[in-house]
Amino acid sequence: MEFDLKTIEALAPDQASLSAASKLTKQSNWPRLEKNEELALIWGECQGSGSNPYRVVVDTSDHGYKCTCPSRKFPCKHTLALMWIAATAPASFAAAGSTPEWVNDWLGRRRKTTSPPVAPTPGAAGKSIGEASLNDEGAAVEDAAAIERRETAQRKRHEDTRSSVSAALDELDQWISDQLRLGLVGFVDNSSDRCRRIAARLVDMKATALAGRIDEIPSRLMGLRSEERPDAAIRELGKLVLLAKAWRQAPDDAELRRLVSTSESREQVLANPDAIQVESLWEVLGEKIETRRDGLVSHSTWLLDLKSAAPRFALLLDYFPASAGRRSNAFTPGDRFDATLVFYPARQPLRALVAERRGDVTSGQWPDFGLGAADPLAAHAAHQDTAPWLTDCPVLLPPGAILLDDRGDAWWQSTDDPHGIALPIADTISPTLLGLDLAATAAVWSGGRLHLLAAQSGFGRLDLS
Amino acid sequence: MRDCWITGGTSFELAPATWKEFVAGASPDERERRLLAIAAQALEIALRPAAPKTLKRRPPLPELALPMLPGRLRPLLRAALKHADDARGKSRVVALVASRGFVLHPMDWMPAASDQTSPDVYAPWIDWQAGVDGEKRTSREQLTAENWDEFYPAARRSALADMRRTAPAVARQLIETKGSSEPAEIRLVLIALMHFGLGAGDVPFLKSLSADRSGKVRELAGRMLARLGEHGQPGDGGPGDPTAELAAFITEGKSGFIRRRTTYAPAKLKSPAQERRRAELFETWNLIDLAARFGVTEADFIGAWQFGADNNVDILVSRMVAASGSDAAVAHLADTLAAEGGKPALFALHLMPRLDSRRQRDLIRLILKDTYYLGALSLAEGVEAGWLDWADLTNGKTLPALCAAVAGNDEAAKRGADQLLETLGFLATAAASERLIGDVVTAGMAPAAPSLGLLRLNASLAGPSTDT
Repeated sequence: MEFDLKTIEALAPDQASLSAASKLTKQSNWPRLEKNEELALIWGECQGSGSNPYRVVVDTSDHGYKCTCPSRKFPCKHTLALMWIAATAPASFAAAGSTPEWVNDWLGRRRKTTSPPVAPTPGAAGKSIGEASLNDEGAAVEDAAAIERRETAQRKRHEDTRSSVSAALDELDQWISDQLRLGLVGFVDNSSDRCRRIAARLVDMKATALAGRIDEIPSRLMGLRSEERPDAAIRELGKLVLLAKAWRQAPDDAELRRLVSTSESREQVLANPDAIQVESLWEVLGEKIETRRDGLVSHSTWLLDLKSAAPRFALLLDYFPASAGRRSNAFTPGDRFDATLVFYPARQPLRALVAERRGDVTSGQWPDFGLGAADPLAAHAAHQDTAPWLTDCPVLLPPGAILLDDRGDAWWQSTDDPHGIALPIADTISPTLLGLDLAATAAVWSGGRLHLLAAQSGFGRLDLS
Repeated sequence: MRDCWITGGTSFELAPATWKEFVAGASPDERERRLLAIAAQALEIALRPAAPKTLKRRPPLPELALPMLPGRLRPLLRAALKHADDARGKSRVVALVASRGFVLHPMDWMPAASDQTSPDVYAPWIDWQAGVDGEKRTSREQLTAENWDEFYPAARRSALADMRRTAPAVARQLIETKGSSEPAEIRLVLIALMHFGLGAGDVPFLKSLSADRSGKVRELAGRMLARLGEHGQPGDGGPGDPTAELAAFITEGKSGFIRRRTTYAPAKLKSPAQERRRAELFETWNLIDLAARFGVTEADFIGAWQFGADNNVDILVSRMVAASGSDAAVAHLADTLAAEGGKPALFALHLMPRLDSRRQRDLIRLILKDTYYLGALSLAEGVEAGWLDWADLTNGKTLPALCAAVAGNDEAAKRGADQLLETLGFLATAAASERLIGDVVTAGMAPAAPSLGLLRLNASLAGPSTDT
């Protein structure tokens, strides 16, 4: 590895990036640091402010790099931090015989440049590693009066937000009544415009999360057959009514606030004593990266707890602006790791953060959860009992197979109950899947469709996300 | 209620009595919203998707005779498959893996239903892809006229090919007995299988195909007969006779001062239309008939052909020999071209599928040694995977040329080097692959360059340790 601090200083876009990178050079930020000297590559995973870790790879021979974070600075602080660790603590990198698939993927797409490193960008002058290394000791000590003023302002903002959201929900109620009066046929046909308009109003009135959900209703409806859409509209709008009513009953409830207005920060979740911590082995079931109508990209990573007696899932969820460009996956489906996850407080805890990651573990079969064919959606029904406003529910299905109907659409059906329930599948599937017996299937049940994540079969683990 | 909401209006009067109890007392709008919430949960919980009565299940994907590639090598395999930009490149990856005793995971790669180039081990998957329903036999059982219909097409092809190698007469009788009832495209495939173990015993059957209702079958049978030294339908020598027409596009001459000998060279043509016609005739007519038109043997015609006068026509001649020449004529042409070396040796690449393993390997070694146009190696078809060793690579200028291309700044040369590395990734032994990676990386290639993908996979498929 050929890095010195001068090189890193030259590559940094500005002093702020260097300072931010210096804070990330602690080993605890990097659950994974590996190198392959033969390929002249170093890579690592940095637990940043998002739920998903950022994956960073650097080619030490030509200083090419890639990071999955949405930063618009190049190189970003994570890349600089990885180089910094390589320069100052090369022993931190474990030797790896082969490169992970995400590294291979980057290598396959990158175009090698033969030109020397570019000249420093304007405004990048005066960068200093030494300055960046200094601890930020100049933080002013707030006096009691200032704290009081800040807390008062916070309380006022909180009250303002609450009354604004309350008004927003009143508007939403009226809007739903209007849709029923005008007819759901018209709503389905014009859902795009109608949802956009009310979503914009809700954003103005600080019901941001709810606005994002309503903005996605049209695409959820369009994913269904035309004859299914009116029922789906009833489901979507009915759940909004339930959510609004629940919020009015408990506006300070963390889960409801998250679904209606804004989510807690990572720090708030980690500091919350009510947040459940689960120390276990986790398998990455799959990822979904979707661009939403509000201009954000949602990045969902589904995890399965390999040590719990009944199937337990976790969802790492991040949002970033679509303008930040295409983002690579944070995990490779099938990865297994030992970690402590902290769940956002909820009636059915699902969304989580990785609090501590201790290392990877070897792959294998999923545990036998003793799944029965009686009702493959029993977990979904249980979720709905406590949180009827939810739309998505992860499920682990018993032994089954994928079949086709007359239209060529795919369905999952239990092997033990071939005449029983069949669940329609949302996405286009690989035709190969039709010939595989699935010992267990992990999927997300959402809006009357099954979104496949992964399965176990006679041919081993199958990535289906 | 549902219909009421769909068309627009209030549904309270239509609601079930128990639902009405929940919503009574509220304003009309609020009543409707509450009913909507109850209906939403009823749809979500109380109703389950109804399974269509006509759900169809595919037969299980059969297991193959070879073990699956170990999971730890699948990332390397996927990288190699991703970099192979066409079906031919992918089939090389598949052939290399099969040559080392493994098959691919079905979610990484599946042969197409029309696939005829994948290793035989994939025949059950090809048949599965073809979508023939019901339980049928696998190619591991003996094919007979009685169980003919119990085999899927690809399994039947694979069984017949095996049988032609060991008992060609039995296989021919099967093709003769059962083939006539198959459609033309299947008959064509079955008769093409007769190139395995083609011999004099096949002549009567092939002659009987001159009356086949398919023109393509008649043409294929004619070329097979030509390979066995049998002349096709004699022409009248007039302007409509294809042999005479082709011969007219060839100039017969003399060379040598002391010992005069006959030479054949492409005639200079006046228009592209004539060139197209000549190419068409070379593609469909037979060597033996053309030689006979000039009153010479196949070997004499090959020996007298002036290679180097027109590359395109040289290629056409090589392809005609490959398609219709006898085994002896093919070997003679290959040896003649190899002896000349340089550019003529490249024409022999068109003969590859007809050459024995020794000649195939010698020819590739020669091209590597000459380093005349290494890019042509990628044209070689029907070559075995994983035999080229380090001594073959270092016996000539190939390695220095490759390293120079890698180290230089000529983008075209770099692309050529990438292409050659992929070809060598298929041909080389595991040990040679490993050493080659080391040399080109030392020369300046990025260690993780995608063009090294197949070489890396090859190197990792070294032997018994692969299994661990």
